[in-house]
Amino acid sequence: MALFPIQGIYQDDFVVLLVPIDTEDPMTVVAEKIAHHAAGIRVPPHEGELRVRYEGELLPPDATVVDAGVPPMGVLEVVAT
Amino acid sequence: MPKLRRSEWYDLARDLNWNLSYVTEEEAFPEEMSNHYGITPNERWWGWDEPYKVSYREYVHNQHGKDAAVYSVNSVVARSRMFEELDPGWKSAIIAHYGAIALPEYIAGIGESRMGRFGRAAAWRNMALFGTLDETRHGQIQTYFPYTLLDKEPRMDWAHKALHTNEWGAIAARHLFDDMFTANDAVSTAIQLTFTFETGFTNLQFLGMAADAMEVGDLDFGALISSIQTDESRHAQQGEPTVKILVENGRADLAQKLVDHMFWRSWHIFALLTGLSMDYYTPLEHRSHSFKEFMEEWIIKQFLDQFRDFGLEPSWYWDSHFVPELDWYHHALHLGVWFWRPTVWWNPDAGVSPAEREWLEEKYPGWNDTFGVYWDTIAENIRNGAEEKTLPETFPIVCNMCQIPVVTPAGYRAGKLDSPLPHLLVHEGRQYVFCSEPCKWIFEQNPARFAGHTSVVDRFLGGEIQPPTIPGALAWMGLSPEEMGQDATNYAWAHEGREAPGAAAS
Repeated sequence: MALFPIQGIYQDDFVVLLVPIDTEDPMTVVAEKIAHHAAGIRVPPHEGELRVRYEGELLPPDATVVDAGVPPMGVLEVVAT
Repeated sequence: MPKLRRSEWYDLARDLNWNLSYVTEEEAFPEEMSNHYGITPNERWWGWDEPYKVSYREYVHNQHGKDAAVYSVNSVVARSRMFEELDPGWKSAIIAHYGAIALPEYIAGIGESRMGRFGRAAAWRNMALFGTLDETRHGQIQTYFPYTLLDKEPRMDWAHKALHTNEWGAIAARHLFDDMFTANDAVSTAIQLTFTFETGFTNLQFLGMAADAMEVGDLDFGALISSIQTDESRHAQQGEPTVKILVENGRADLAQKLVDHMFWRSWHIFALLTGLSMDYYTPLEHRSHSFKEFMEEWIIKQFLDQFRDFGLEPSWYWDSHFVPELDWYHHALHLGVWFWRPTVWWNPDAGVSPAEREWLEEKYPGWNDTFGVYWDTIAENIRNGAEEKTLPETFPIVCNMCQIPVVTPAGYRAGKLDSPLPHLLVHEGRQYVFCSEPCKWIFEQNPARFAGHTSVVDRFLGGEIQPPTIPGALAWMGLSPEEMGQDATNYAWAHEGREAPGAAAS
């Protein structure tokens, strides 16, 4: 387990955020951690499953950043599916 | 004794140019101070001729008169209640202005004095001497005026303090101004400071701000800005003859590149400071134009005229990046500054009451759908008493060029960008983040100049900010709880037009 910084974008938000996650977080948790800073804050919470997109590809919900090959400060988008 | 007309002696007294024999040109004009960009020997610069002429005697006489007038206004206003009665949003605009501008004006004296010594023609050095004195005056007067308001508004202290802190806006200003004049050669300073920034942006901005100040009843600030503008319009003319020399000597390409570089950087800081002031902080009843209208009618028109007059082209990003940003960029920055309000030294005025939103929609059709929706969610949280949801728990990513938060998702949502993603670049093993294609382009033109700098986010991740928390970062930025920005109207805008405002403005 280790703290791991990423750049996070919540769908329809206006800004790119610095979000600390953990190397062992599955993408479901990563999505929640990014959404925490925008959903219900500046953007109404999206309905449906939240998925994480990296370099144009949706990542498996149980993958970690290590599994997906996301580097520190990689850009992760949270999108509702 | 009859005096000669100025035109009969001016050129003789001014043009103290001579060929060097005891030292080489390179020794007298080192490249890092005065890059000749291939235009040698120095005689090729001696045709430099300023359009507006002034003698030292006239200069001193004029400046004395200006100071006497503007300090008199300050003295009278200081004994009145004029400042207390100003609109809270306008107060925020001038507190932000003083912090961001007062010391950079003083530092601009370094750039002017570098041209005053290392400009390659005596006429240029003469004008730059006046410019040095101007900028010294502007630094002094813009720290003195806020000083006289300290008992009414302690954060006026930031006129002197801001540039000495790690506050993110101060870092953005330092990064820009170091690039523009503190660490620039004389030729590039003339093109980038006087031609691009002053002629293109601040001279016109100061005209507009002076008019706005008088409109809202701020005689003190109006007199100050008018007085400064008259100096700006004189010393800013150093750019034009420098561009002419470059163009005449086949270096239009260099002039173009220097303008392209600094226009973009100036635009971003201008959007941050002036965009917010014009469209959100100035009281609605006193707004004579929107920021976009001001840009279109003054800045864009003048630049296009200049490009045409000097045989230059509109910058490569003009239609593809710059013009589209007029519709969304400063709206996104305003939202960010308001949301991260504890990180600034002024009280951001949300400026989104029902009447103000109507004005924004009229000036920027579609504003309610693109930006109003964010404010809907924020206003609801305020009305529900959930203020904590309107305050940050993390930081935005910051651009490694302009040092301003990356708001590309807003541009994407407004339909002006193809992607919400920031622009990334790996240079010598380090990843850099940029808010726009032009910011990345500026870096790529001269990576060695910019690569060593670290943004606020880089410093946070590098362990320089301890403890690594929001309160730790605010302390690192030099912001005490009393200095941190709060909503300028205590959220009155969120309750306006609603019944029973439970947490109405006090």
